[in-house]
Amino acid sequence: MSEEGKKLYVKIHATEDMKKLMTDYYIQAKTAPGTEKKICWITSGGPVEFLIAMDVIPVYPENHGAMCGASRTSVQLAEVAEEMGFSRDLCSYARLDIGQAVTGGGPIGGLPRPDFLLCCNNICGTVLKWYEHVSRYYDVPMFFFDTPFIHKETKEHALEYVRKQCVDLIEFLEKQTGKEFSEEKFAEVALKSVEAVDLWKRVLSTAEHKPSPLTCFDAFIHMAPIVTLRGTQQVVDYYRLLLAEMEERIEKGISAVPDERFRLVWDNIPIWYEMRNLGNLFASRGACLVADTYTSAWAVDIRVDEPLKSMADAYTKVYLNISIDLMVEQVISLIERFDADGLVMHSNRSCKPYSLGQYDIARMVTERTGKPVAIIEADMTDSRAYSEAQVRERIEAFLESLES
Amino acid sequence: MEIDSKIHEIKDDPYKPAKEWKERTWGKVVGYFCSYAPEEIIYASGALPVRIIGRNKAATLSGAHLQNYCCSLARTSLDMALEGDFDFLDGTVFVHTCDTMQRLSDIWRLNAGAGAHFDVVLPTFLGGKNAYEYLRSELSSFKKSFENEFGKISDDDLRRSIDVYNRNRQLLEELYSLRIDRPEVLSSEKLYMIVTSSSLMEKNEHNKLLESLLSELKASSSSGDSGGGKSVARIFGIGSVMEEWDFLRILKEAGGTFVDDDFCNGRRYFDGLIQQTDDPIEGIARRISERAICPCKHTNTYARADDILERVMDSRAEGVIFFQFKFCEPHAFDYVALKEALDKASIPSMLIEIEQGSVSLEQLRTRIEAFIETIRG
Ligand code: SF4
Ligand code: SF4
Repeated sequence: MSEEGKKLYVKIHATEDMKKLMTDYYIQAKTAPGTEKKICWITSGGPVEFLIAMDVIPVYPENHGAMCGASRTSVQLAEVAEEMGFSRDLCSYARLDIGQAVTGGGPIGGLPRPDFLLCCNNICGTVLKWYEHVSRYYDVPMFFFDTPFIHKETKEHALEYVRKQCVDLIEFLEKQTGKEFSEEKFAEVALKSVEAVDLWKRVLSTAEHKPSPLTCFDAFIHMAPIVTLRGTQQVVDYYRLLLAEMEERIEKGISAVPDERFRLVWDNIPIWYEMRNLGNLFASRGACLVADTYTSAWAVDIRVDEPLKSMADAYTKVYLNISIDLMVEQVISLIERFDADGLVMHSNRSCKPYSLGQYDIARMVTERTGKPVAIIEADMTDSRAYSEAQVRERIEAFLESLES
Repeated sequence: MEIDSKIHEIKDDPYKPAKEWKERTWGKVVGYFCSYAPEEIIYASGALPVRIIGRNKAATLSGAHLQNYCCSLARTSLDMALEGDFDFLDGTVFVHTCDTMQRLSDIWRLNAGAGAHFDVVLPTFLGGKNAYEYLRSELSSFKKSFENEFGKISDDDLRRSIDVYNRNRQLLEELYSLRIDRPEVLSSEKLYMIVTSSSLMEKNEHNKLLESLLSELKASSSSGDSGGGKSVARIFGIGSVMEEWDFLRILKEAGGTFVDDDFCNGRRYFDGLIQQTDDPIEGIARRISERAICPCKHTNTYARADDILERVMDSRAEGVIFFQFKFCEPHAFDYVALKEALDKASIPSMLIEIEQGSVSLEQLRTRIEAFIETIRG
């Protein structure tokens, strides 16, 4: 499998730069304790621009969770939390994070201790319960950034609530860092964030080209900087580099998957421990996953003229904070934009807000576009809940059905 | 007791009283899921709010919409809706609590909803000025959309409704205090049927039943239906919905009873009265912010454990039973912190995790008997 697999991948040169960027970042974070630099653990959908502007190092347990999943150390860490009484049915990012705090295990020897926490529930309610635990465990303060869920329309009083919390957050950060918030600096960071997000969107859009120069498996790996460090210059530089490489690929006719025959959209968080194998499986049949609902979640719009207002809007409207009908619209627009032949949904045992509703989404997507949908049952980092044979069989049958 | 026949009715068919009420009055009935639902607003319109609590039967039809790693409360409730059990409803109100409820609301609206559908997106944060202002606006906005479907609600309607609800909460509070002193007067099986029936029938009628029950209980000096010579083992219950009647029967047979709880069809349902002020919505918002908190909400990181520990002490409970639905994230997370707080205070506890429709009673019996033996030393 791996031998056959190697030939299927066209290596992205920028990957080395990204690895360096992320390694430097983690070294900086891990050496921060004891210096005057403050560390804030933040949820993946959280408004990181405030932290960057205040010179605080953001640390993302979810990004770390993905790393633990990919390096297959997650189960061992999750088991530590289970020993402590946390149910095996809870989100595996939360479980493995609770475990790594105790043992310092995982590929980078654990995350640095937080000085304070920023928990934003625009991705799920789970993060609140998880961060409450972290807050007690390290005995550090938590800022809870509450973003009301959108069922049908965005209500003005909900946005107003979020805007006011931006102001409270600034006050909280000033207190925690002992520094004054500078609007100038914030505007600068917001500008860079917008630029990086824009570049990231353009990177993802290159997959509209046929054949596509990148797959969503590439996007999953290259999304780390946009999630963690947007608002910094390095991230802008990095995505320029990546975009140039993708554009060059298009020019030279290099496709991510040799002999691209099918174009598919992926839904939900990757199955981190199995990503390479799945990537190979799809590639071996000429199937390219050209887009996904996960990496495009970070394509938020912030307007520089009204940063606070537009940030409140952007952070409230992320993919996981909207109703099933609104999600369907986004999935369909991905299918149309990327001219996809079908949809692959990862029903992710760990993540209820992402997964409950998928059955209905699948039905509606097929009804409206006529495109087939395959649903595979797994967990993003807990491989104990994964049946390789079953998933392979499901995908193979799906790809075969596309042939006919 | 007059209340007996009523509560047995709801054991067989929880919605019989509401359906009969509807036939009798030609009124509207509105279903809701969570104890944070602003029932007072619904009731003020003249409609009857009834709680949806799932059922004790393995889920089937909902499998086309919900994965099997979703809590059984959501799955069995959706089953009932898909089978048409809720066709008598004129609307359903969903309140923002956990991730599962949030998605269930959409699925319900798209597949099963009878009548109007409302989402009350309460804040998850229940502390501070901003959250409170948002909560008030959201309640007002709910009232407006509710009025569009069910007719105008005046402030006086709201005040009258609040009076009825306050009365019910007072009476239930009285019943709880009476039982804390003399748990033997009423089994916990009956207690939860009584609290649950409060959310399934006309409130004024329920108040009358409660009044006569309380005067009967106060008058009787003898021990009630818990029987037996030994005093009962005093247990504090923690969880979401407690409607596993067979479990409560087993608990009683094993010599135990709940003396107080943190269930959402227990104390979390009736905790806290509403202050009558110029703006009735303001009063409703205050109670929501201040009542016994659910694990889906946040004020500060220690609030819930502190509050529960205090109530465990006040109720002189000898042990705690966590009664949770499998796959329920908010409760499963809190379990660890609560257990730790109880351990520190040397209060024994046990965890029971169930799925509606697949409970092994014999296994439960053995575990409960063993637990009661331990706390009895
Ligand atoms: S995986 Fe899902 S449940 Fe877990 S933290 Fe992320 S959004 Fe929340
Ligand atoms: S709080 Fe728990 S039991 Fe209630 S709907 Fe949510 S997951 Fe299910």
